[in-house]
Amino acid sequence: MEKKDEFYIGYADTVGQETKSSIRRFVLTALGLLIVGAVLFGSFQKEASNSTFDFDTPTKISGTYYEAPYPMLRVELTENTFKDILLLGFGKFGANAYLDNIKKSEVNINGKHLTIEGNLIYYNGKTLLQIDDSHKIDLDNSKKKNFILPQAMGTQEVVGEIVDPKCYFGVMKPGYGKIHRSCAALCISGGIPPVLVASEANAVSEYFLLTDLKGNPIHKDIIPYIGIPSKLKGEVEKMEDWYIMRIDVSEIEKLEKESSIY
Amino acid sequence: MGLDYKLVLWNKHKKAYDKIIAFGMVMYLVLFIVLTLIFNPETIAETMIIRAFGSLAVIMLHIILAIGPLSRLNPQFLPILYNRRHLGVSMFLAALIHGVFAIIHFHTLGNVNPIYSVFTSNMDYGSLTNFPFQVLGFLALLILFFMASTSHDFFLKNLSPQVWKGLHMLVYIAYALILLHVFLGAFQQETSIFTIGIVVLGFIVITSLHLVAAFKESKVDGFKGEKDTGGWLKVCDMHEIPEDRAKIFTVGKKRVAIFKYDGKLSAIHNVCKHQGGPLGEGKIVDGCITCPWHGYQYLPHNGQSPPPFTEKVATYELRLDNDIIYINPIGLEEGTAVEPILC
Repeated sequence: MEKKDEFYIGYADTVGQETKSSIRRFVLTALGLLIVGAVLFGSFQKEASNSTFDFDTPTKISGTYYEAPYPMLRVELTENTFKDILLLGFGKFGANAYLDNIKKSEVNINGKHLTIEGNLIYYNGKTLLQIDDSHKIDLDNSKKKNFILPQAMGTQEVVGEIVDPKCYFGVMKPGYGKIHRSCAALCISGGIPPVLVASEANAVSEYFLLTDLKGNPIHKDIIPYIGIPSKLKGEVEKMEDWYIMRIDVSEIEKLEKESSIY
Repeated sequence: MGLDYKLVLWNKHKKAYDKIIAFGMVMYLVLFIVLTLIFNPETIAETMIIRAFGSLAVIMLHIILAIGPLSRLNPQFLPILYNRRHLGVSMFLAALIHGVFAIIHFHTLGNVNPIYSVFTSNMDYGSLTNFPFQVLGFLALLILFFMASTSHDFFLKNLSPQVWKGLHMLVYIAYALILLHVFLGAFQQETSIFTIGIVVLGFIVITSLHLVAAFKESKVDGFKGEKDTGGWLKVCDMHEIPEDRAKIFTVGKKRVAIFKYDGKLSAIHNVCKHQGGPLGEGKIVDGCITCPWHGYQYLPHNGQSPPPFTEKVATYELRLDNDIIYINPIGLEEGTAVEPILC
């Protein structure tokens, strides 16, 4: 029997049997490809950390304010046991803009007792607090506390990756590496302190707040090094539960290797 | 074919086509999200949305790019080509959701304009591994936007088929940008042999299909017929052309389709005025040459669309000598009537 010469016209209702079977084959293959794709892309992702951002649950924190050089609140957990909570602003901004009002009313709020309502960010023993409204900061009339000097730890060389702590410790997953790099650059240029996350287990700490050689904040100068495996060297100081590394940004060494900070 | 413009000229095939697209997209998203929640339970909704829609768009683009060469290799796949623009617009919407969420997630609430930030927050343009991959995705999304927003016969007619086709050929630039966006972005950090493998395999399949289809068509372009003393070109034996069908030959750098129907032979320019479809792969239906891509029709003896339609293609003179067809390589004005030769 002669083979039927099938011809498909989109606006005509009839479709030949062989054409129908070819369409069926194509559709099943495409759907199969979508299933395989979903299985592969869905299953083979790096597992996100169990970091937390309480974006819908405000928390009131009271403690002693200090800048060393980044805004922090030292909270007394039990008698003589303290925790330093790093303060951050809303979005991709640091906390300073939110503290301006209170700084106007008091010449120096370092060592003063503040109560701040914000959203907690926490992961791996570190806690941060996002302030989204300057009216949620109250200055208590308590006596000013003296700042405890940090403990010098000598010069350290640490391999790791510079991140913005807001995203890394809970707001974004992943909050590190190349995918997140542009966001981290915006966060740090907006006033969020840069943090070095060590990738080596033998480093004195997993996390270092980075300052310049004089201990002043650094933001824009460090942007070219964010989200890239790097080697940093500098004087390290230990605060209550944060370490600070004083660095010369121009001496950061970019490493040609895959990020391994998680 | 239609005389006026409507958003979509719905028919039962288009409805079925769109239902399958919607089903496939929803199935992908549900499966991706369920698997993510099982294997990566600590993830956040924004990351899941960005990844789900991004990966869906990449897979859909591969399916779209396979349709063209598959239809050239086997006309039975032409129904998939007929409504390909629906698949293209759906793919653009998936890519748009991916792009918009990524821009909101990574670039808003900062101290610069989010679009400016896409281009400036990573300035390592001189490095391959650190290259700002989001810029590549942004440019690809722009191309897809122009394609999706002109995926309608109104723009096809008003931009002219050549300009429109040129614009839509940019899909290959978009494909290259998307591959670079994925390899210099997600795959730098989310390195799995399986996910990288499926994209590499996809690239190989798409490239191979295009090469095989191009090889098939190069046989037509490589045709070198003998000329007789009058300058007419000897093309083939009339028995080589099936009834109501055509054979395509390259005559004077142009492709010409010679149709056999009702004991007659006629020759017209092979390129459909609608979207450049190969008329010679079409069929005589109701006395008209019918384009295999979207069903545009032309009368074989004069190359004119039947009234009230106004499309016209060039016609060619034929001669039959002992069952051998000869063609005058100098084409006639579009729409010129030529008496069909009897065979």
